[in-house]
Amino acid sequence: MIYYLGTYLYETVETLSFLRLLNSISFRAIAGAITALLFIILFGGRMILHFYLSGQRDMPRNYASFSTEGDSVKTYGGLLLVTGVLVSVLLWTKLHTTFVMLCIVAVLWFAALGLVDDRLKVRHGSSDRGLSEATKLILQSVYGLVFGLIYVIEDLSPLPAGLPTQLYLPFLKNPIFDLSWGYIPFAIFTVIAIANSVNIADGIDGLAVVPVAFAIAVFGVFAYVASHAEISAFLIFPFIPGVGEVAIICSAVFGACLGFLWFNSYPANVIMGDTGSMALGGLLGTVAVLVKQEFLFLIAGGVFVGEAFSVLVQEKIGIKWLGRRFFQRAPIHHHFQARGLADTKIVIRFWIVSGILALCSLATLKIR
Amino acid sequence: MKYLLTGGGTGGHVYPALALADEIARQQPSASFLYVGLANKLESWIVPKRGFPIKFVRARACPRSASPWAWFMFAAILAVGIVCACFLLLRYRPNLIISTGGYVSAPIMFAHGILKKIGCARSKVFIFEPNAHPGMLNQAVGRMADRIGVAFEQAGRWFDMRRVAVVGYPVRRELLGSDRFAARRKLGIPVDVPVVLAFGGSGGARAINQAVLESMPYVLARPNLHLIHITGQYRNSHYDAVAEIEAALEVLAFPDSVSTRYHRFTYMETIQDAYAAADMVICRAGMSTLSEICLCGLPALIIPLPKAAEDHQAINARQMESAGAARVIYEEAVWHNGTIISRVDGGALSASILELIDDEKQRAAMSAAARKLGHKESLDLMLTEVENLMEERRPTPLTLEFPLPATSLPEEPNALLRWVRKRTDDQEGVGSLEPCELAYLRHQADRLLVSDVWYEIPLGKRNVGIKLVGYLQYVEQVPLLLSILRDRTKVSLLQRLFGGDYVHGGFLRRNAIEFGIRRLMVFGDEVREALLGALRDDPYFEVRAMAAKALGESMIQSDELECELVAALDDSYPEVIIEVIGALGAVARRRDIVVHLQRFYLHDSWQVRRQVVAVLYCLLERRVVVMEDVEEGAEQILATSPFFAPQFPLKQQLNALAHLIGKTSTEQQNERQLAEKQAT
Repeated sequence: MIYYLGTYLYETVETLSFLRLLNSISFRAIAGAITALLFIILFGGRMILHFYLSGQRDMPRNYASFSTEGDSVKTYGGLLLVTGVLVSVLLWTKLHTTFVMLCIVAVLWFAALGLVDDRLKVRHGSSDRGLSEATKLILQSVYGLVFGLIYVIEDLSPLPAGLPTQLYLPFLKNPIFDLSWGYIPFAIFTVIAIANSVNIADGIDGLAVVPVAFAIAVFGVFAYVASHAEISAFLIFPFIPGVGEVAIICSAVFGACLGFLWFNSYPANVIMGDTGSMALGGLLGTVAVLVKQEFLFLIAGGVFVGEAFSVLVQEKIGIKWLGRRFFQRAPIHHHFQARGLADTKIVIRFWIVSGILALCSLATLKIR
Repeated sequence: MKYLLTGGGTGGHVYPALALADEIARQQPSASFLYVGLANKLESWIVPKRGFPIKFVRARACPRSASPWAWFMFAAILAVGIVCACFLLLRYRPNLIISTGGYVSAPIMFAHGILKKIGCARSKVFIFEPNAHPGMLNQAVGRMADRIGVAFEQAGRWFDMRRVAVVGYPVRRELLGSDRFAARRKLGIPVDVPVVLAFGGSGGARAINQAVLESMPYVLARPNLHLIHITGQYRNSHYDAVAEIEAALEVLAFPDSVSTRYHRFTYMETIQDAYAAADMVICRAGMSTLSEICLCGLPALIIPLPKAAEDHQAINARQMESAGAARVIYEEAVWHNGTIISRVDGGALSASILELIDDEKQRAAMSAAARKLGHKESLDLMLTEVENLMEERRPTPLTLEFPLPATSLPEEPNALLRWVRKRTDDQEGVGSLEPCELAYLRHQADRLLVSDVWYEIPLGKRNVGIKLVGYLQYVEQVPLLLSILRDRTKVSLLQRLFGGDYVHGGFLRRNAIEFGIRRLMVFGDEVREALLGALRDDPYFEVRAMAAKALGESMIQSDELECELVAALDDSYPEVIIEVIGALGAVARRRDIVVHLQRFYLHDSWQVRRQVVAVLYCLLERRVVVMEDVEEGAEQILATSPFFAPQFPLKQQLNALAHLIGKTSTEQQNERQLAEKQAT
């Protein structure tokens, strides 16, 4: 909104020509991050109090035992996070572009899905009574399908013709394969996998939010590179005009994540719940596809991949198929809790790992 | 009038349909009948023998698992069956469809439903429900029936009660007319000797056959006692009833004087003779069998079929038992060549038979109680209902009261487990449960142990059975638990590549110790050997940890155990090491144990170090070691601990307040109630 106001002002009023600054993606990105951060810090306390008074309060957690399973905190911190992101995005991006609209739809759809899940869990007072696994997957793939179609059909796609269905790998300059219509199932799978892995990782105070911030920052950098004709030519990336808006969204999410950490840091006032983790995961998946760096998530989101993998091994292979455990608990952070590490220690170690992974994925900018 | 009869699979569904058809044929000679059933089931040869025409359709039992393939096959076969049934119905055009339930009747019932929807069928539908808990199919098709005859009034709850009539269970008229002396003469049995009849329902029962064979040497040792044994002619690739029994008899090799008192039949056309001749019966608890023995007033030893749907046979049997008309012997789960099978112990059976044969007073009482349960008039009632239906008169209203107490146990295994735990907690242990209730609950454990169904985890129902053994203090099943623990049957290569080991997976073996042995607190030599074996070479860490824990709790002190435990300290899993150290703390007797513990003073895991400290303390208290031993290296123990348990003073205070408020408000309530009482 500020972008449109500024453009209108500098075109009509001579003295306000400095507002051309608003054309700069880097300026809007920084402003977006600060807006989201400040919004959450300023209004967060009041919103948390409001949630608390409206009955969405956290349940007592037993910190004396290692496991917090079964009596997890159920609050709507995710709403706070999503509001922060949306406010910043509405203020600082070009809303009429397909890039922005796709991202906003992703956030809203996945946040709504998570909200329903959270509501059911709160109502039944049990974390097993939310939406069923199948329902979640179907609703997620509905979004994935719509998104994939818009992305692949030439007239609707925000990307230049021919580019959307190409498959790029990190460390390789040229696309390895043209998936054609096969790209739609691939896009669905990518979005679902990323959304759910973020959802799984959200288990201890502050555990998910910082790795998400790191990963989204990496994708922001890649979006910025792809949107810049010269830099993309220099680094031999496909030039995607207009994807700079995605970079702004990424930085808004980065700011919102830090703002959320303000309240979410151990011991948390509020947790993001499914609302927040699904919304962040859905957005992350969408962004990964939009900037054509689907496989980069394996590195940038390595923490999430590891968490999802631990659940897969433990639940599907171990318990359901073989009748044994491989970890003490899954996801893997609960395994570390069971092995006697304090929550704070696990969380900070995960941050360190995700920071290193973020650096590694930035290295793929040049190492190609 | 044209009648179409359907339903079958077992005698319980076929016989009432035939009894009704016989009766209708007697009263209306012009009536025509058509029976629709399955080609390989009982009805396929019983029905033609009785002189009714039969046509076959295809159907399959509803799968009781989540396997998509089973459901697909079920749906495909049912669809084919429904199409066939549609043609049958359109060609035959019956005035009345009589269904006695069972999945065999599914194609006709659904086909009729479809034809009625599109206006191609005008037949009326009469459903007969023999069980107290209606089967799945009758529950589903009950809404399109014009009249539902139920054997038990409470079954009416599942249907539209304005259309339900209580008719009891119809039994063929021939059964009642038989004479004891004539029957014995026919079978070649003297008039004044005791006669035991053993049979397993219309199809025969392997468990009963095998138990009878096992008990024969003891039972027939009694002079004069005659045994009538109807084996059934069941035969498939695994089991051939007749051949197996003949082989077993050859091994037993009775002398002639004994074998003349043993009367074996594969199938008995005129079972009324056997009923009339017998003094007591050994049988299954199907509804047709029970109705027949009630009408004949025979005391019975009932062995319910453990695999019956919703366990209805055990429920039927318990009703007979509580009425004093029968005794129930449950099948038990036993280990047999790497699998768990269900069987009855022949020795126990023979003891029960002889006890009952000797106690004439008891038999008379049981016989009287059985006669009280029988309904002679139920065939007439059913006929009246059919007439009522054709002339559109309403049935007599039911006298059910709501809500009725739930009599059956939950079917879902975990719900059953919770139910049993609550029941035993309420009763403060299994000791104060009624013996017959305890036997019934243990029968549930046996049922689950035999089951090899995956429920949540591989062999999940068996897993629940293992837990139930512990909760019900079922000490007799300890050998079975040990067999599960020691079983070394490997899983498929693919599963082993992914980290699987044995067919009885890690969870089952762990639970055999955790819920079985530890709760039962039996630590005989064999148990100790099995636990040591598990600790030594079980590939799954939770089993080793639990074995160490159980050994520590056994409080058996021996040098061998101590050596084994010390050897187990080399384990790579901290969970196991912690339990082993804990066990050493409880059972160690040697002073040099401290040397072994010193290895862990600088261990990576603080949980191991904490356990070491706790055990050192415990050993000092037990005076196994002296101060000097511990003092030596104690200051070396690494004291960093990357864990803390935060305190939440506000929450604690709040909880205290909440507790206080709750307490005072209940106290006030109590006082108020007291005051009110005094006022009145």
